[in-house]
Amino acid sequence: MNVDARYGIDDAPVFVIDQSRCIGCEACVQACMECGTHRGQSLIHLERIDRAATTQTAPMVCMHCEDPTCAQVCPADAIKQTEGGIVQSALKPRCIGCSNCVLACPFGVPKYMAEIDQMMKCDMCTDRTSEGLKPMCASVCPSEALWYGTIDEFRENRTGSLLRDFMFGRQEVRTKVYTVVDELAAGPIDVMRGQAASWLDDPFALESGGT
Amino acid sequence: MARPPLTDAELIDRYGPHLNQAPPGGWNAGIEFDRVVDTHCCFCGQQCGIKLKVHDNEVVGFEPWYDFPFNEGKLCPKGVKRYLQGSHPDRVVYPMERDETAPGGFRRVSWDHALDRVVSEIRRIQDAYGPDSFAMLSGVSLTNEKSYLIGKFARLALHTANLDYNGRYCMVSAGAGNKKALGIDRASNPWSDIPLADVVWTAGTNIAETFPITTSYIWKARDRGARLIVQDPRVVPHARTADLFLPVRPGTDSALFGAVLHELIRHDWLDHDFIDAHTNDFDQAAAAVADMAPAWAADITGVPRARIEQAAEWWGTSATGMLLHARGIEQQSKGVDNVLGAINLGLATGKFGKPGCGVTTITGQGNGQGGREHGHKCDQLPGNRDITNPEHRAHVASVWGCDVDEIPGKGIPALEIIEAIHAGEIKGLLSICFNPLVSSPDSNFTREALDRLEFYSVIDFFVSESGHHADVILPGSLHEEDEGTSTSGEGRIIKINAAVEPPGEARRDWEILVDLADRLGSGHYFPYTDTHQIFEELRLASAGGTADYRGATWERIEAEHGLFWPIPEEGHPGTPRLYEGGRFYHPDGRAKFHAVPYRLPGEVVDADYPVWLTTGRVVSQYLSGTQTRRIAALVAQYPEPLCEMHPQLAERVGVADGDLVTVTSRRGTITLPAHVVATIRPDTVFIPYHWPGDKAANQLTQRVVDPTSKMPEFKVSAVRVEPAGGRVTTTDVRDFDLQGGAT
Amino acid sequence: MFMIPHRHDAAALDRRGVAWGLVGVAVTLAITFVGSDGLLWFDAALIGYLFGIIFMVFGVIYRYSVWVRRPSTAMLNRRGWDAFRQRKARNAAALPSLVATQLLAQGFIRRRSRARWLAHQLVFWGCILAGLITFPLTMGLLHFESVGQQGDRYQVFVSRVGTMSFDADSVLGWTIYHGLDIAAVLVLAGVFIFLRRRLRDPGALAVERSGDFLALAGLFAVSVTGLFLTVSSIWLEGRFYAALNTLHALTVILGLMYIPFGKLFHIFQRPGNLGVAYYKRANAEGPAAVCRRCGDGFASAQQIADLQAILPQLGFDYDAADGVGSYQDTCPKCRRAQLALAQSARVGGFG
Repeated sequence: MNVDARYGIDDAPVFVIDQSRCIGCEACVQACMECGTHRGQSLIHLERIDRAATTQTAPMVCMHCEDPTCAQVCPADAIKQTEGGIVQSALKPRCIGCSNCVLACPFGVPKYMAEIDQMMKCDMCTDRTSEGLKPMCASVCPSEALWYGTIDEFRENRTGSLLRDFMFGRQEVRTKVYTVVDELAAGPIDVMRGQAASWLDDPFALESGGT
Repeated sequence: MARPPLTDAELIDRYGPHLNQAPPGGWNAGIEFDRVVDTHCCFCGQQCGIKLKVHDNEVVGFEPWYDFPFNEGKLCPKGVKRYLQGSHPDRVVYPMERDETAPGGFRRVSWDHALDRVVSEIRRIQDAYGPDSFAMLSGVSLTNEKSYLIGKFARLALHTANLDYNGRYCMVSAGAGNKKALGIDRASNPWSDIPLADVVWTAGTNIAETFPITTSYIWKARDRGARLIVQDPRVVPHARTADLFLPVRPGTDSALFGAVLHELIRHDWLDHDFIDAHTNDFDQAAAAVADMAPAWAADITGVPRARIEQAAEWWGTSATGMLLHARGIEQQSKGVDNVLGAINLGLATGKFGKPGCGVTTITGQGNGQGGREHGHKCDQLPGNRDITNPEHRAHVASVWGCDVDEIPGKGIPALEIIEAIHAGEIKGLLSICFNPLVSSPDSNFTREALDRLEFYSVIDFFVSESGHHADVILPGSLHEEDEGTSTSGEGRIIKINAAVEPPGEARRDWEILVDLADRLGSGHYFPYTDTHQIFEELRLASAGGTADYRGATWERIEAEHGLFWPIPEEGHPGTPRLYEGGRFYHPDGRAKFHAVPYRLPGEVVDADYPVWLTTGRVVSQYLSGTQTRRIAALVAQYPEPLCEMHPQLAERVGVADGDLVTVTSRRGTITLPAHVVATIRPDTVFIPYHWPGDKAANQLTQRVVDPTSKMPEFKVSAVRVEPAGGRVTTTDVRDFDLQGGAT
Repeated sequence: MFMIPHRHDAAALDRRGVAWGLVGVAVTLAITFVGSDGLLWFDAALIGYLFGIIFMVFGVIYRYSVWVRRPSTAMLNRRGWDAFRQRKARNAAALPSLVATQLLAQGFIRRRSRARWLAHQLVFWGCILAGLITFPLTMGLLHFESVGQQGDRYQVFVSRVGTMSFDADSVLGWTIYHGLDIAAVLVLAGVFIFLRRRLRDPGALAVERSGDFLALAGLFAVSVTGLFLTVSSIWLEGRFYAALNTLHALTVILGLMYIPFGKLFHIFQRPGNLGVAYYKRANAEGPAAVCRRCGDGFASAQQIADLQAILPQLGFDYDAADGVGSYQDTCPKCRRAQLALAQSARVGGFG
C-alpha cells in the first residue's frame, strides 16, 4: 500500500469504543466490508437499542479479551490470539461451525456465517493495524464512537477515562480494547446492571400536557 | 414529445436502478490498484476528503484521507460506498434517442446525430416561441467550473433567461436570508469554530443522517462542556444527547425564534455595543417580537414555555455560541423568515465574527455552496452578482467579451419553470444532473409538465426517472471523471481530481456543453480545452463580487487543503471566519436586523387533513437517489420509505408497527409501512423523499414557495393517515448484518 | 507465535496421550509385520519412511487424545455420538451424503472462493492419492510381482493376496507407475494457486501464520523432489538419483513428522464437523433457550446447557451476582445492547 503508515510499534496505539457517542449511521458497517482480511463481509455489529422508544444505537467490535471465552469454549482449538493480543477469526481449516463461540462470547461478537459454515469475527483489521494504519471502522466513524490512536492523542482530544474491565455477573473480563467512562472509581462496567435509561425524559412534554 | 416511450417497469428493467453489489472483479479479486487519487466525496456539502484507488481506469476501492483537515479520514456510509457508483451496469455509455419501437424505448445514436438533433430542436422551438421558451435546469452537485460554464452557456449559447438549478430546492432560503441580513451568502464560520462554542444550537438539521461528519465537531464542543440545544419535530439521533430539546411543530420555527428574541430583550441578554456599532434596524426586529411571549410561542410551536425560556437564557448568557440550521427551517414558505429570525438571535447577542460564534447554514448538496455563487441561478451572474444590476452585467460582459445586451435578464426559478412547462409557456428543456420527478414538490404535477414538453434532452450518467421522459439522452460524466473545484459548506474551495476517464462514448459534461455551444453558433465564447481554463476565467468573472475567487489558484487550493473565499487577490490567505471585527458585507459594513412577524405555513391541518407531514433524508441515500439507489449496500441499509409516526397517532389511526398506511394530501397519495416510534411529535408524520413513482413522498408535498427565495415548502403539508390493510413483516429495515450471519 | 494458554493444559507430557500413542505405534508395527508377511515384502530401503509413519502415528494419536479430552471438545464429542445414536437409522443413512458434501466436496470452501476451493481440492486429492500409495508400499502391504515370460506384465499383491495384473506399457501400467507423479502434480498445482492468492491479497498476507507457509513449503518440497526422481530416471539415465532419493526421503519423513504439530492436523479434526452436524440437527428438534432480557428464543437449550456445563470447568463464572441464573442466558443481541446501556450510564451527557 502506498498509504502512509500512521503509527509505529512504539506509539502503542489503542482502540477505544464509546457506545454512548454512536449516531447509528452505519459508516462502520459499510467500512468493515472493505477490510482486506474479510472483504465483502461486515463483521461489526450495530445495535438499535430499542427503536420504538429511542434513536439510541451502539456499535460492537471485538474487545479482544486477554483470556477470550470464545477461544476457551472452541472445541476445535480454532481461535487464536496474536502476540499483540488480537483474537483472530477462527482458523478456517479447523473451525467446525459449532457456534459455541457465538453463544459464549460475553460481548456478543463472533458471527456464524451459515453460507461457509464457519465463524468469523472482527480482527481489528489486522491487514491495516499490522502496518500502522487505523482500522476501517475507527477511520471512518463520524462520531468517534469508534476511535484508534495513542493514549496521549486520546487525552488531548477527548474527555473521560479509559477503562477495559467488565463484570458479567460474577465474571470479570479484561480486554485489549478500551471503553470510556467518566470516573474509574466505580470499577469495572457492570454489564448486567445495564438498564434502559433515557437522557431525554419526555421529549414531547406529553406528560406535562405540552407546556 | 416527452412522454416515456415505455412503461416505468420496462424502463427500469432496462436502465435500472440495478444494484452494484461489489467492486470490479468482485470482493475476492484482491485489492490491487495502480494509483491513489486524492479527491472528495460527492454525496453532500461537507465534501469530505477521500482517496480513490484506481486500477485500469476503474475505481476499485477507497482509502481514508487522514490528512485532509475537515474530516481526517472520517466518512459516512455514502462516502464509504461512493466508489461503487463507477463501473456500474446502468451507466449510460452512448447517446440515445427516444424510439418507441427500439428495445428499451431508446435507440443508440452517434454524438453528431444527438447533438444536431438537440440543436435543431432548440432552434425550432426558439424560432417558433421565442428564446425564453427553451429552459435549462441544472444540478448543484457539479463543480464550480461546470456551474459557471452552465450559467454562461444558458445566457450566451442558449440565449435564454430561464436557467435555474436544483439548489432552488436546497439552499436558496439560507442564501436569501444571508444576503439580506449579512450582505454575503456563505457559512459564517469554518467548522473548527464549532468546538469553541459554549452553546451549540441545531435548528432543523438531522446532523447524524445528513451531515454525519459534523457530529464529531459537536461532540468536541460537548467534550469542552458545551450545552446542546436541538430544535426538531423528531428526536433525531444527535437529539438523544441534547441538554435541551425543542420539539417544534413543523412550520412554526419563526415563532420560536421570535419568542427567544423576545426573551433576550426582556432579560436584556443583549450585546448593546455590538448592536450599536455593527447593525441596523434592531428596533424594527424588536417591535415585531414585542407580542411574541414564550407562552404565546408555546401554543404555536408546541414547545413547552419553560424550554423556550431556557433556550433564551443559555443563548443569551453564554459567551460563545453557534446556531447551525439546515433544510428543516429553510424548506418552508417562511424559509427566509426563519433564517432571518435565527440571524437576529446571533446579531442581538453579538455572536458573529468571533471564535466559536456564528449563525450558519449547513449546505446540503455536494457543491451547494460553490454551485450557488457563479451564475447558474436565474437571477445571478458569477461572483454572486445580480443579473439585474447594470454594473454587475457590465463586469461580466467584459470578462465574457460580449455585449451587455447579449446577456438575458432575470429568468424564473426552478419550480416556476416546471409550472411554465405545465402551462405550455416553456416548450423545450435541457437538464443536467437534475431529477425533478423525484425532487420537485407535487410529483404528479411534475410528471404532467414533463409530458407536455415538445422536446426534452438530459445530460446525465444514469437514466433517472426524469430521464425516462427525454427525447435525447447525452451521457455525461461522474464526479470522479472530471477535474475542477467545488466549495464545501464551510466556504472552503477544494480540488476535485479526476480518477478515471468517462467510459465508452460518455463525455465530460463541459465538453458536451462546449460542443453544443459551438453547434449553436456561439463557439467563440467557449474556447476551452480543459477545465483549468474555465476556472481561470471564473476567477476573473468573480473578482470584485461578494463570492470573490480572484486570488485562488488550483495549486494553492491543493497545497493548502482548500482556501476559504473571499480571496480577493493572489497571496491573500483566504477568509475562514467571516465578519471578524464586526465587518459585514452591506455597503455600510453593518448587518441588518429584520422584522419577522409570524405567519402561517402555506397549508395548515384541518378536519380533513389533520396530521402534519414533514419530509427529509436518510443517511444512506442522497437526494433523488439516482446514484445511491444503485449501490446495493446503501439500498440494504434503508430499502424503501417508511412513515414514521408516534404510538399515540398510530393508536388513533388504528395501526401497529409494520402495518401499511395510506397517507393522503390534497395533491396525492402514498401507501407505505408505518414505523411506529416514540421519537416524533404525535401530530406529525415523517417520510423520506429519495424514491420515485408510487413511493415518492413528493406526491404529497405542495407547490407553495417562499415569496423571496422561491423555495418550495417541502417541510410542511397537511395529510390524512389511514390504515391500508396488509403489513410488512418488519420495519427493522436496517438489517445491520448486511452480509448475513446469525446474531 | 499464536498462543492461547488453555486453562486445562498441563505443562507435562500427557500420560494417557502417551499410552494411546504407544498403542497406535504397536498396532502400526503389527500391521506392518503381518501385512508384509513377516517382513518378507518389507523393503528395507524404505525404513526411513516407516520411521516417519510411526512418528506421525504417535504424534497424531497423542495430540488427538489430548485434544478430544478438552472440556468443550469432550462435550461435543459426547453430544455428537449421543445425537447420532438417538436416531441411528436415519443418521447412518445420512452419513454418506454428509461425508461426500462436507468432507470430500467441501462446498463450504467453494462458497468462500472458487479459487481457494480448487486449490484445496487439488491438494486434498493429491495427498490422498499419495497416501494411498506410499503407506501400503512402505509398510510392505503392497508389492508387485512380474508374471508371465515377457517381463512386462505385473501383478499387484496386497499382502499375500494377488489381485489384478497389468501390462507395464499399458495406460493402466503407466498410471500405476506414475501414481505418485500424478499426485505431485495435483499438489503442486494447488500449492501454486494458494501461493498466488496469498501473495496477491494483502488481507490474506496479514493474517498469514508461519505454519500456513510451512505447510505449503513442505508440500512443495515433497512434490518437487519426488518429481525429480522421475526426471532423473527417465531423462538423466539415473544421474543424481541416489542423492535425490535421499533428499526426497528426508522431505517426506520430515513432512510426516510435521503432520501432528502443524496446520495439517486439521485433517484429523475436520471430521468433527460431522458430529456438529448431528448435534445441530438434534438440537434444532429440541427446545430453544430463551433470552433472560428480551424473552426471545436465541439458540438451542441443549447447547446453552452444555456451554454452561463447560464454562466452570474452564474456570469461568458467568452466574448472576445475585445467584439467580446466568449472564450466559442472555442472547447475543441483548448482550451488546446491555453493554451499551451499562457503558452509556457511566458517561454523562451522552447517555
